[in-house]
Amino acid sequence: MFKQSTLDIFDTTEEELINTVYTKKVEVPVYVPKYEKPNIFELFNHKKTLELLQNIEKSNLTIEEKKFLTLAAYRHTVLYFDKIADYYAHSNKEMQELMEQSALVIIDFDKAIENGFAVLNNELSNQYLEDQNG
Amino acid sequence: MDNFCVFILTHGRPDKVFTYKTIRDKNYTGPIYLVVDDEDKTYDQYTNLYGDQVIQFSKSEIAKTFDVGDNFNDRRAVVYARNAVFDIAKKLGYKYFLVLDDDYTDFRWSFTNEKKYVTNKYIQNLDKIFEILLKFYKSTNFTSICMAQGGDFIGGEGSGLSKTFLNGQISRKVMNSFFCSTERPFQFVGRINEDVNAYCYFGYKGHLFMTVAQLRLEQKQTQSNSGGLTDIYLNFGTYVKSFYSVMYNPASVKVRQMGQNNKRLHHSIHWDTTVPKILSENFKK
Repeated sequence: MFKQSTLDIFDTTEEELINTVYTKKVEVPVYVPKYEKPNIFELFNHKKTLELLQNIEKSNLTIEEKKFLTLAAYRHTVLYFDKIADYYAHSNKEMQELMEQSALVIIDFDKAIENGFAVLNNELSNQYLEDQNG
Repeated sequence: MDNFCVFILTHGRPDKVFTYKTIRDKNYTGPIYLVVDDEDKTYDQYTNLYGDQVIQFSKSEIAKTFDVGDNFNDRRAVVYARNAVFDIAKKLGYKYFLVLDDDYTDFRWSFTNEKKYVTNKYIQNLDKIFEILLKFYKSTNFTSICMAQGGDFIGGEGSGLSKTFLNGQISRKVMNSFFCSTERPFQFVGRINEDVNAYCYFGYKGHLFMTVAQLRLEQKQTQSNSGGLTDIYLNFGTYVKSFYSVMYNPASVKVRQMGQNNKRLHHSIHWDTTVPKILSENFKK
């Protein structure tokens, strides 16, 4: 089902990876990247942006106005964050760091979210029992 | 819970601050402050009833600090108070705070421990609940977290939030009840729909928000509790309201028709194109 050749980016075997990350899918609110690296052109859709840019270019506006509208046009570029996360997982260190700086993915450093979430669920579960029995 | 207080945002209905009584009845014992703006004609009545628990802020001053997203003049909106509380907390010396609206009538559990959807299990001890949520908030880097609201569960077990929770995922929304920190400030933007605008606009840039689906607050029906924000919503309608969120996130938020019998236009968020995914550090090289 998964191609072993795409797993060489991970410092673990497929079995270990599945045990450590994939099986926690129901417990932990982290995204599980696909084994396939997407094509970079799958990460976004800039059809609307290109339409706007063409219209701006054809217009008779001042250079400053065109610059402003050009910057604003990129707000219409659709970013597919699931594909972006898939791409991140299969990218080199330099690309990963730049993606992190641009907040294209959120890294759960030191498992703060994963562990925090587990504690939260446990404590809420205990409190639920206390509320119902109290 | 040291260094923590509750703010209740209220306007024009000093005799109808349901939240105050509700959270005391549910055993929250910590400090509460009512946040009232300086254009509220009922300010004296608030102070008569609540004394030094009433904190007043200047609407015109706070209006200079953020983008309302339009050129209207109607300032009957909660966005001013939402943005004012960060400075108020600082001045009062609190690092952590919970921001609530004034129309909450109950706090309930949404799921049993077996993940069965429920509506009749009541939260008894808000001191403990707030302590648990605050512990989570402190231990992570979420910008803000909140409890769910009754309206999130329209459709019951088949509602969007219920499905999200039962699938082991988290909702990246924050509405109505905001756990915040003066050290993790963010701004609400847009005159109305300011909560949706904020979690989409800042969520898009990597801020983390989350709704804790197991807990829910119940509110008075929007149009049955007069005063407050009701008028501005009635005047603008949901069409204009929803478009604020489109303005801030045109690539991922749309307006579409919702509802079966009571059809209305409402914002529709495409989450896969609105918020970056959270990844385990295992994937970092």
